[in-house]
Amino acid sequence: MRYEIRVDGEMSDELTTAFPELDTFVVPHQTVMYGQVDDEAHLYGLLIRFQSLGLHVAEFRRLPE
Amino acid sequence: MSVKARSVGGGHGDPTSKAVTPDGDPVLAARLTVPTVPATFVRRDRLVEQLSDGAHSPLTLVNGPAGAGKTLLVADWVTVCEPGGVAWLTVEPQDSAPGVFWSYVLHAFRHHGVVLPDDIGSPARPGEVDHSLLARLAAWLNGRDSPVTLVLDEFDRVAGAAAVADELQFVLRHAGDGLRLVIISRTEPLLPLYRYRAAGELVDVRADDLAFRAEETVALVDRHGLPLSAEAARVLTERTEGWAAGLRLCTLAAQRADDPESFLKDFEAGHSTVADFLLGEVLRAHPAETQDLLLRTSILEETHPDLANALTGRDDAEPILEELQRANAFVEPIGHSWYRLHPLFAEILRVHLRVRHPGLEPELHRRAAEWLSRAGLLDEALPHAADAGDWELAAAELIGHLAIGRLLTGLAAERLDGLFARMAPEASGPAADLVRAARELAHHDVDQGMAYLRRAEENLPNDGADGTEDAAAVRLSCAVLRVLAARVAGSADLAEAAARDAAQAERALPAGQLERRPELTALMLTDLGSAQLWAGRFDAARSTLSAAVDAAQGRSTAFARHEALGRLALIDFLHGRPGQAEAHAREAVAEAEQSGLPVSDRTGMAQLVLAAVAIDRDDLTAAEGHLDQVAATSAASRDPIVAVELAILRSRMLVARGDSRGALPALDDMAKQALDSAEPSPWVSDRITMATAAAHLADGDPKAAVRVFEERASHSPESLVAEARARVAAGESERALGILDELPEPENEGKPGNEGKPGNEGPVTDVWGLLTRAQAVDALGDTAAAESLVLRALTAARPHHLRRPFLEAGPWLRRLLLQRPALTRDHAWLTSTLSPQPAAPRQRDEAVGPSPESLSARERDVLERLAQLMSTEEIAADLHLSVNTVKTHLKSIYRKLAATRRGQAVRRARELGLL
Repeated sequence: MRYEIRVDGEMSDELTTAFPELDTFVVPHQTVMYGQVDDEAHLYGLLIRFQSLGLHVAEFRRLPE
Repeated sequence: MSVKARSVGGGHGDPTSKAVTPDGDPVLAARLTVPTVPATFVRRDRLVEQLSDGAHSPLTLVNGPAGAGKTLLVADWVTVCEPGGVAWLTVEPQDSAPGVFWSYVLHAFRHHGVVLPDDIGSPARPGEVDHSLLARLAAWLNGRDSPVTLVLDEFDRVAGAAAVADELQFVLRHAGDGLRLVIISRTEPLLPLYRYRAAGELVDVRADDLAFRAEETVALVDRHGLPLSAEAARVLTERTEGWAAGLRLCTLAAQRADDPESFLKDFEAGHSTVADFLLGEVLRAHPAETQDLLLRTSILEETHPDLANALTGRDDAEPILEELQRANAFVEPIGHSWYRLHPLFAEILRVHLRVRHPGLEPELHRRAAEWLSRAGLLDEALPHAADAGDWELAAAELIGHLAIGRLLTGLAAERLDGLFARMAPEASGPAADLVRAARELAHHDVDQGMAYLRRAEENLPNDGADGTEDAAAVRLSCAVLRVLAARVAGSADLAEAAARDAAQAERALPAGQLERRPELTALMLTDLGSAQLWAGRFDAARSTLSAAVDAAQGRSTAFARHEALGRLALIDFLHGRPGQAEAHAREAVAEAEQSGLPVSDRTGMAQLVLAAVAIDRDDLTAAEGHLDQVAATSAASRDPIVAVELAILRSRMLVARGDSRGALPALDDMAKQALDSAEPSPWVSDRITMATAAAHLADGDPKAAVRVFEERASHSPESLVAEARARVAAGESERALGILDELPEPENEGKPGNEGKPGNEGPVTDVWGLLTRAQAVDALGDTAAAESLVLRALTAARPHHLRRPFLEAGPWLRRLLLQRPALTRDHAWLTSTLSPQPAAPRQRDEAVGPSPESLSARERDVLERLAQLMSTEEIAADLHLSVNTVKTHLKSIYRKLAATRRGQAVRRARELGLL
C-alpha cells in the first residue's frame, strides 16, 4: 500500500527524520510525505507519530499502485 | 561483576540522597499528583463553566491534540473550582493490563484521601479483574453521600485496551451518582459515548473548545509581559489555530528575541509547522549547556538533577532546570526535585537529538538505566537498559534487585515478561540465563526452562572467593527457580536440596534486603511445599505451606498465598479433617476474591476441596457447582493434583448418583496418565486405586474391588480402610478385621481439639474404619458389637455431617438401623437422607418415553435393593431367593425399563418415580 500524507506547514529537515520510511517534499503551506505503508498497524502508528509531534494531518490518501 | 560498583556518568551525585520520596517511589507519586498550574496559565471561564455545568453528568471527556492545554485546564478546574473528593491518575502504557490499571486507580483514590474499605481488595495479577471486585468498588461509591471525581489523564495511552474500557464502563454504570469520571485523552476512549450523549450524560470538551480565541490570546501573551494589539492577536491566533502549545512557544520565543514584535510578524508570515519551528527558535535562544541538557534528557519521561548530570557528564543540571522552570519553558516540577518534560516537546526534542548526535541514544539509555537502578528505581531502569540494548545489564539489575520473583507473580509479571521477550540471544551470563529460565517456566515450557537453568548453574559465581551480594543474589535466584523446576518435575528431594541452597545464599545477603521482596520467599515456600505434598511428605508440606501463608501479607504475595492455602486445605481433606479443610479452602477463595482473580486464573484447589467435603456430606448440588468452577480453571489441565482429584471427585459424584459403571473409564485413563507424568506421587496413585475400588463396590462387584488392592498394596490408613471395606463386601470379613487391626484404634473421635494432631487421622477415616469394622462383625454374627461400632461412627460423623460413609455402607446398615431405631435417635442430620426417598410425583417429560410395563412386587423388591447398591448375591441372600432367580428378575427389570445395566436401570426407575 502506498500512501500520500499532507501535513499543514513546512516541516524542518530535522523533523522529517522522524519519518525515515517516507519521502518528503515541501509545497507552499504544506509538507507532502509519501511512501510504502506496510499494514494497518503501521498506518495507525504513523498517525500517532504525527499527533505526538504536534503535526496537523490535512490529507491522508492511498495512492494507486 | 557488581552492578552497584559500576561508575555512573562520570560519578556525579549520589542518587540515593534525594531521589526517593517518603513512600519510596517519586515516579508513582508524580502520577498521582494533580499537576501544578503555572502563574502564566489563563483561566477561561467558558471552559470552566462547561466543566462545572456537567457536575451531575457521570462522564466528562476532554479530547484534543497534544499541547491543546487539556491537562492544565482540568488541573486548574479541580484545584480551584471543584470542591470535594478528587482522585488524579496519569495513565501509563503499562496500565492497559486491567489488573495494573485498577490497582493504580485504587491507589489514586487512597492517595487523595478517599478512604476505601479494605474488603474491596486490590488486584494481584495484571490480567482481567474479576467483576466481583469492581462491583464492590462501584457499590461502595454508589453508597457515598458525596461523589468522587476521578481524573484519568493521558488516557490515550491505554486507548487500545478494550478490557479497561469495558471495566470502566461497568464501574461507572453501577456507581450511580457516586462517581464522576473525567477522561483526558488525545483520542476518543472505547466507551459507548453515543449512549451517554443521547442521555445527556456526557460533557464533551473538544479541540475546537480548547482552541484559544483572539481575546484569550491577548490575555496569555499579556501574562508573559508582552503587549499585543487586538489585530496582532487575531493574526497570531489564526496562524496557530488557537493551539495552546503553539501560543506558549511563540510567546517564549518572542520574549527571547531581540525584537519581539518583528519576531511575531515574521512568524505570522512564515509557513513552517508551528511546533517544530518554534521549538527550534526557543531552543536556539538558550545557552549551549541548556540545549544539550534538554536534548539528552528528552529520552526520559521524568528527570532529576542528578540523573540529568549523569546524562550530560556535567554538574550544572540543578540551576538549569530551575531556570527552565522559572521561565515556564519545557519542564514542570512534579515534586521531590523531579521534573517532567512536556510530552510534545520531548517528542520533538528526541528527533533533534537523533539528528545532532546520531548514535548517542543507546549510551544515554544505558547511563539512565544505571543511575535509576542505583537509585532503587528498578521499574524505571529496566526499560532504559532494554532501549540501550544492554541485556546483560537489564538481567543483572533484575537479579541484583532480587526481582526474579516479579517475573513469575504479581502485577509486574506481564510487563517484565514482555520486556525480556526482546532480549537478544547473544546476551550471556548466569543472570541472562536465569531470566530466560524464569520466562520459560512461567510459560510452562519446562524443558526449555530446565536447559537455561542448567546453563546458568554451570556459570554460577562460586560461594567462597566471590561471596559478594551480587553473587548471593544470583545464587539465590537460581535456587528459587530450581525449587520451581523441581516442583514441576515432582521431585521433593531436588526441591528440598534447592531450598537449602537458597537458605545458604540468603545468609550472604545484607539484612533486610530479602524482606523487601516478600514474593520471592512466598513463591519458593509454595513451590517447595507443593513438591513435598506431591511426594506425600505431608507434615513437611504442611509446615512449609503454612510458612508461605505467613511469609508476608500484601499484593505481591497474594497469589502464592491463594495457592498455599488451597494446598493446605487439600492436606486437611486427605487426612480426613473436613472442618479444617473447609476453613483453609474458604480462606484461599477469599484471597482470590480480594485480588479480583477471575475463576480461570485461580488454582481450583480450594473449590476441589469444597466439592470433596460437600460430597462427603451428600450435598451433591453444591459439589457439582464447585467442580464446574474447578473445571473452568487453567490449573485443571496443568496441575496434576487438580487434574487427578477432579477426575476422582467426578467419579465419586457418578457413584453417588447411581452410575457406578460410568465412573470407571475416567479413572482408568487417570491411572495410566498419572504414572506417565514426572516422578509418580505415591498417594495420588493410592487415591485413584481407592476411587476405582469404590466404583467397583458400588457397581456390585466386590471381587473386582479386592483385585484392585491386590494389584497395588495399600499403605496409608485411608487405603487400608478402603481395602478392608472391599474385603468385607467380598465376604472376607476375617481378613478385613485383620487389616483394620493394623490401624491405630480411633479414640478421640468427635472430640474437639484433636483434629490436626500429627499422626492422628481425622474423623472421616475413623468413620469409614468404624463402619467397615461394624459390617465385618455384623457379617460374622456379632450384632451387639456392630451396634456399638455404628454408634461410635455416628458420634464421630455428627460434627461434620459426614453422610457419605453411611449412604455407601450397603444394605446391612439399613437393616441394622431399621432393627434398632434407637441408634439414630440423636442423629436427625443423617436419618432424613437415609430413609427411602418418597416417590415424588413428578411431571413427566415427553422425552422420558412411554410408560413402562408395570413391575411385579418381587421385581420392585429387587429393584429397591439394586438402588441400595447391593450385589446380586446380597439381594439373593436378603430376599431368600437363589442367585439365578434374582438374575431372572433383573433381566425382566432391564427389559421393562429399557436398560442394559444396573446404574441405568436405577436412574430410569428414579426418573419414572418407581423408587
